[in-house]
Amino acid sequence: MIDCREAVRRMWAYIEHELEAKPVAEFEAHLDTCQRCCGELEFSRHVREMVAEREDTTPMPSDLRSRIEAMLAGANDAKEGSA
Amino acid sequence: MTSVVETRATGLTGPIARTVDVGVERRSFADVARDHLDRLYGFCVRLTNNPSDAEDLVQETLLRAMRAYGDLRDPSRTKGWLFAIATNTRRDLYRAQGRQVATVPLETTGAEGDEFSLFETIAIEDPFPYSDELHLDFLRLFHDDDVRAVFGSITSVFRLPLILTVIHGFSCKEAAAILDIPLGTLLSRLHRGRKQLERGLWDYAVANGLVTTTDEDER
Repeated sequence: MIDCREAVRRMWAYIEHELEAKPVAEFEAHLDTCQRCCGELEFSRHVREMVAEREDTTPMPSDLRSRIEAMLAGANDAKEGSA
Repeated sequence: MTSVVETRATGLTGPIARTVDVGVERRSFADVARDHLDRLYGFCVRLTNNPSDAEDLVQETLLRAMRAYGDLRDPSRTKGWLFAIATNTRRDLYRAQGRQVATVPLETTGAEGDEFSLFETIAIEDPFPYSDELHLDFLRLFHDDDVRAVFGSITSVFRLPLILTVIHGFSCKEAAAILDIPLGTLLSRLHRGRKQLERGLWDYAVANGLVTTTDEDER
């Protein structure tokens, strides 16, 4: 049986579905007996969700986009020219 | 299924199998790249923590990707492939400039720092004594800028796994391949990043007066 400290250590990997079958079974067995870790697991999901919702929406600066578009257009032209 | 290792190899120096034409016309690099420009730019901003460096990194990444596009075996993995190239390009650029890429200090690899629990701290400090949703009310204090400020304060090596998995939706295996580290290391850093995030949220809330702590009540 794992303790709370080990359960907390596995918590985000569990949320990410990255634990192997045995660690998952141990983790879930711990949850069956530990109300505190059930609460922390739920809270961790909310923390994760909060961060995920703040996805970086910083738009690419227009002058950089223009330079990149010119670069991509040049690449297409070169490809067509060599075809 | 193409191995995630492809993301690590492609765009670098190692030879890998070329794409096999099977009669389906392959989209041009320009078209594929346009699908990911904003996300690539956002990732580069977070990689460098500097908008000017991010611009250089995006351009150099795309140049390298353009040259290696023929080696990309699975176009559905383009985003991860571009992110992997960006990660490696940043490392190369920093090396060329004599700058240090952030590494993990030895003192942060152990259990120290694992002791802090935001979940428990909120329960103990009880910043909203009449709340039925104490923990959720704490999270509701944070606006977008607050979260970004806290997120930006996390040590880079621990923040990147969070960015790739939580924000960009890569699996831990894919994130490990992008960062060119073993899965176990990725999982360890993900845990450390989460701990820094929790500590950062609490410290930010206290420092900015979002919550009043017990110590302050007693003054």
